[in-house]
Amino acid sequence: MAMSILKLRNSPALRSAANISPIGVLSRAFSKLSEGTDITSAAPGVSLQKARSWDEGVSSKFSTTPLTDIFKGKKVVIFGLPGAYTGVCSQQHVPSYKSHMDKFKAKGIDSVICVSVNDPYTINGWAEKIGAKDAIEFYGDFDGKFHKSLGLDKDLSAALLGPRSERWSAYVEDGKVKAVNVEEAPSDFKVTGAEVILGQI
Amino acid sequence: MAPIAVGNVVPDGKIFLFDENDQLQTVSVHSLLAGKKVILFGVPGAFTSACSLQHVPSFIEKAEPLKAKGVNEIICYGMNDPYVMKAWGKTFPENKHVKFVSDGSGEYTKLLGLELDLKDKGLGIRTRRFAMLLDNLKVIVAKIETGGEFTVSSAEDILKAL
Repeated sequence: MAMSILKLRNSPALRSAANISPIGVLSRAFSKLSEGTDITSAAPGVSLQKARSWDEGVSSKFSTTPLTDIFKGKKVVIFGLPGAYTGVCSQQHVPSYKSHMDKFKAKGIDSVICVSVNDPYTINGWAEKIGAKDAIEFYGDFDGKFHKSLGLDKDLSAALLGPRSERWSAYVEDGKVKAVNVEEAPSDFKVTGAEVILGQI
Repeated sequence: MAPIAVGNVVPDGKIFLFDENDQLQTVSVHSLLAGKKVILFGVPGAFTSACSLQHVPSFIEKAEPLKAKGVNEIICYGMNDPYVMKAWGKTFPENKHVKFVSDGSGEYTKLLGLELDLKDKGLGIRTRRFAMLLDNLKVIVAKIETGGEFTVSSAEDILKAL
């Protein structure tokens, strides 16, 4: 269903008619993140933790990054995934963005960000292991507050992961959401890859 | 819950691990540890300094002498999820004996009474650092740190007590 919508959306007539993101609207009507949302107002007072080694944590006094620092005045592509070191996340989702970095730069994107409900040390170890730390900025949402505020939290206890997030992607310009995509199931990888969001920028 | 102590029988509960066939399993602690002499040592966080550079290496290094003294298993335990514990275990290529298990839900750490609030360090609730010697589920030696420091819970400390 998602693929046929993709074809429709990419037709020039439809694209010029409206800058809408029907995929996001159809698959997750109850996520608070939709086109036009101001991401910093939707998650007030929320910070993320930049991927870091423990020693970097100590020397930075465990500082956190407010959402305004990440999004204000910038063109950001952000994608969220259930967990560092898990299958689809490691083998498909991150590589999809890593291999399209030139295309993101060509479109004037300031940052490509990967976020998950992991502590910043784990996500740092993972980013280094998959060789993506140079291209993509990794952030941890260790207590899940960011995802909960946006309605993108998901209980993955059945997969032995506990409270995590959906698999999602978004294009955010100066804090305003321009496009958002959420998979029907977190193990899917159909609408949240780099090619889809590139077509929505 | 009061922290686990010498003389107690460890509570039963569920923990997660990847078995020899790399399959994700939920196991009962009692079925994993019954009838054996086991060292169970707890770490606040995979991929953090004291855990990676001191605590785990101390048990990898002393695994042979510990086994020579009758220890059947050496198990590293943390509140990271089982995928993270497995990946972290792989960062120690010299490791032959230490197994890595996960209390991803935090339930078992609660039963042990060893919760540690590390929210201000970006870790959330974790386990206090500890090392215990269990004989058929009974706690024979318990070296429990107040928090995440590494002063009494090394392999040498357990070896001395054996």
